[in-house]
Amino acid sequence: MMKTNETQTFLKFVQAIVGEENATNDRAICASYSRDQHWHFVPAKNPAYVVRPANKEEVRKVLMLANKEKIPVIPYSTGINVRGLTIPVHKGSILLDLSRMNRIMEINPEMKTATVEPGVTFGMLLEKTMKYKLRPAFPDAPLTVSVLANYYLRGIYQTSAVDGHDHTLSYEMVLPNGEIIKTGSRSLSEMPYFRYGVGPDFTGLFCAHPGTCGVVTELTAKLYRLYDNRKVYFVGFDDVNTPTKFIYNLMNDELAASIRLVDNQSWLKGICGTFDYAYEKLPKFVLCMLVEGVDGIFEAKDKLVRSYIKESGGKVLEFPEEFKRTFEEESLGGAEKSSMVFGLRGNYHCIGLYGPLTLAAKYYDLHEKTALEVGIPKDHVHFYLNPIYNFHGQLCYFELDIFYDGSDLGFGEKLRNYNQKQFQRLLDLGIYGWFRPYAGIIEPTVDRIGYLGEVWKNFLKVLDPNKIMNRGKLF
Amino acid sequence: MEREEILSAIYHCAKCKLCSIASFHPSEEWLPLCPSGEFYGYQAFYAPGKLEIFREILEGELSEPSEGLLKAVYSCTLCGACYEKCKQITSVEIRLPELFEELREEMVKKGWALNVHKDIAKKIKETRNAYGEKYKYEAESTDRNADVLYYIGCTARYRVPEIADAMLQIFDKFGIKYQVMDDEWCCGSVLLRTGQVEEAKELMEHNVEEIKRSGAKTVVFTCPGCLMTFEKNYPDMGVELVHSTQFLTRLKGMKVKKLDMEVAYHDPCHLGRDLGIYEEPRAVLKEVANVKEMKREREQAWCCGSGGGVKSAFDEFALWSAVERIKEAKEAGAEALVSACPFCKRNLREAAEKEGKGMKVYDVVELVNRSLEE
Ligand SMILES: Cc1cc2nc3c(=O)[nH]c(=O)nc-3n(C[C@H](O)[C@H](O)[C@H](O)COP(=O)(O)OP(=O)(O)OC[C@H]3O[C@@H](n4cnc5c(N)ncnc54)[C@H](O)[C@@H]3O)c2cc1C
Ligand code: SF4
Ligand code: SF4
Repeated sequence: MMKTNETQTFLKFVQAIVGEENATNDRAICASYSRDQHWHFVPAKNPAYVVRPANKEEVRKVLMLANKEKIPVIPYSTGINVRGLTIPVHKGSILLDLSRMNRIMEINPEMKTATVEPGVTFGMLLEKTMKYKLRPAFPDAPLTVSVLANYYLRGIYQTSAVDGHDHTLSYEMVLPNGEIIKTGSRSLSEMPYFRYGVGPDFTGLFCAHPGTCGVVTELTAKLYRLYDNRKVYFVGFDDVNTPTKFIYNLMNDELAASIRLVDNQSWLKGICGTFDYAYEKLPKFVLCMLVEGVDGIFEAKDKLVRSYIKESGGKVLEFPEEFKRTFEEESLGGAEKSSMVFGLRGNYHCIGLYGPLTLAAKYYDLHEKTALEVGIPKDHVHFYLNPIYNFHGQLCYFELDIFYDGSDLGFGEKLRNYNQKQFQRLLDLGIYGWFRPYAGIIEPTVDRIGYLGEVWKNFLKVLDPNKIMNRGKLF
Repeated sequence: MEREEILSAIYHCAKCKLCSIASFHPSEEWLPLCPSGEFYGYQAFYAPGKLEIFREILEGELSEPSEGLLKAVYSCTLCGACYEKCKQITSVEIRLPELFEELREEMVKKGWALNVHKDIAKKIKETRNAYGEKYKYEAESTDRNADVLYYIGCTARYRVPEIADAMLQIFDKFGIKYQVMDDEWCCGSVLLRTGQVEEAKELMEHNVEEIKRSGAKTVVFTCPGCLMTFEKNYPDMGVELVHSTQFLTRLKGMKVKKLDMEVAYHDPCHLGRDLGIYEEPRAVLKEVANVKEMKREREQAWCCGSGGGVKSAFDEFALWSAVERIKEAKEAGAEALVSACPFCKRNLREAAEKEGKGMKVYDVVELVNRSLEE
């Protein structure tokens, strides 16, 4: 722990790097970064400093200084990760607010790529890529979130099922010792457009750790086409199992850009863009689908989709045109309405995981069972399924959601109990992996991954021997 | 507000930061909404960050004032843009500007007020106007029993008198008899917005007495800040309170000569977001000039940057915010930026002069007065 005068001296050094107005230990400024909506799991804590570098050289100098003094650093791009990932674990941490670094370095329509700094949000990027009829792969997160941080977290599932799940091509990262590493083809040339070919897949290797490995200052990602031809369908089902065959067909034949199975009381409201509709009169689950494509292919896809709908056992729902438009915007134009879920009861909790489509109904049943066991009422239990990979049509992102009143402290306790039970149960049932390295999830997982856990720890030790990259939640 | 109610609202903030930008899909453009956040950058200057500061104060973790605290809390223009966006999206009751006023009140109770705001309170105590002016703006009632009373407000009396002049001339041109208060005191808005609630009480009592005594049935305001304060903070006086633009829309047979001028209309925060008056100013303005809409308008209008005690405390920021608005008006193809608030006009005009881009700045009543045939 530093003494007050040491703290002031340290601050002066940092201010010499980033400018006086861009580094502070002001108590109130630090307080403003102390908590996110996941505070029932990750308690509020103030960083000791907030530092706002303007470029990678400043990032490098700050990191080296922090490394020398063994001060934890929390990179923060937009802070909207909803899992407490930018809340300090250790006393005396530096919160490295990267939002000033918000340049779009390149949009390359030929290569269909964008290279961005951490402060670039999906909204900022889309505004520019639309001119080329291109878009990034979107999360269902508000378009105020950082593209770079979202992809770097490697937990992305996206609103378009045909985008696959590897959007990141290469990046540049500053390590705690001040060295800069570049991954993929970026390491060999000025062309950052290819991920593989330089030894192992380093691009993947540095992602999705608890804490981070360093600070990513620039990232190149894929862009995807925007098509003029689009059609939206909503099909109702009474249970989770019935539509799985239908979803499989859509994925296997690569037919739909967006496919989401949601219950009629939660995410559907954001998908349609209003709270004001008789959702309770709909079938319990609604499959929302968007078909797109170039002339000829679009019509052929649409024909097939319609034939699959007929045999799906579902009921086609006639929604107002504006619901369809909102779903299109939310899926392929950056989400704004998904945050409406916070308005259901005031906060939302979920366990996000990857698993096979075939287990959908089992995940749902388990979700309900565990929730009821810990005293969470049935009407708080919600569900979201999003297939994300055409290749075999099986890989899905699942969200086991609970919407609740965030100001109800007792409910927070129930949720913690729920998590504790559910992590183990899901691991027992079988999952492909977790959506994010969030609090409480890594520990039970590491217990099961054998020697890989050791390798993982040692890998981080080499990269970050002084443990400054906010890894306190686990290693 | 009760402590529990405040904390509950704070706990409901999801930190999604959608309140910092205008709705994306209508324009497919990234358009910032929060002036203080955009200017200062740290999270503390955006709504979700300020809520955390408030939480720490209420929970006793923040027990000392600091430069950052005063700046973050008092550089908020209380424009309410964040709230309009938040309620659209989340529908959770996080009444942000009200919370930020509460925060200031709490801070003032602890003695954490800005000196410049305390000075304003002192000036008001001495002169009954927010600018400490000792002279009287010259205006005479045309009929001491008139049904209409024009409450002029400090800014129109002492900083942008052309607005008050225009309003009075409009009354005359229409042959409307009016009263002005012999002893008009500051409405107290600036004190209430800066957390100095106690200091405002005497002013409110005085004005209520005077207005009651006048026997007027309708009080007309050119200042939305004063109007909002009367609506929100004053007791019901049994009189009708209207904004100048509302009053003008009622006047039948307005014979105006449309000016050959492309103008953009700037929604004043208190008039639009606080009082929901969006249509009347537009309707009036359309009669007298060619109106161009700017990208950020109505509920999602960009604030001029001067409200909430910001102009007096952080003038550089206030002017930056106004310059942003002027750029937007220019982009919309306007040669003049028209508002319906003396406070906006003052700041926007100063910014236009500073920026030197030739943008003219008016209040709606000025253009109406100009275009009214004698
Ligand atoms: C309503 C809602 C729905 C959501 N739905 C989705 C969804 O469908 N899919 C999805 O993927 N996400 C979703 N999210 C989560 C969220 O969008 C992502 O977690 C987010 O993109 C990451 O948050 P951020 O961009 O604000 O990054 P931050 O919060 O700033 O950072 C997140 C993590 O990355 C680290 N980090 C940040 N910047 C850097 C950097 N430059 N270098 C190294 N490490 C860094 C941080 O230290 C932290 O650990 C949703 C969020 C909300 C609010
Ligand atoms: S105030 Fe509302 S819009 Fe802003 S971050 Fe909080 S929940 Fe989101
Ligand atoms: S009231 Fe205006 S200035 Fe204050 S936080 Fe909200 S948007 Fe920003």
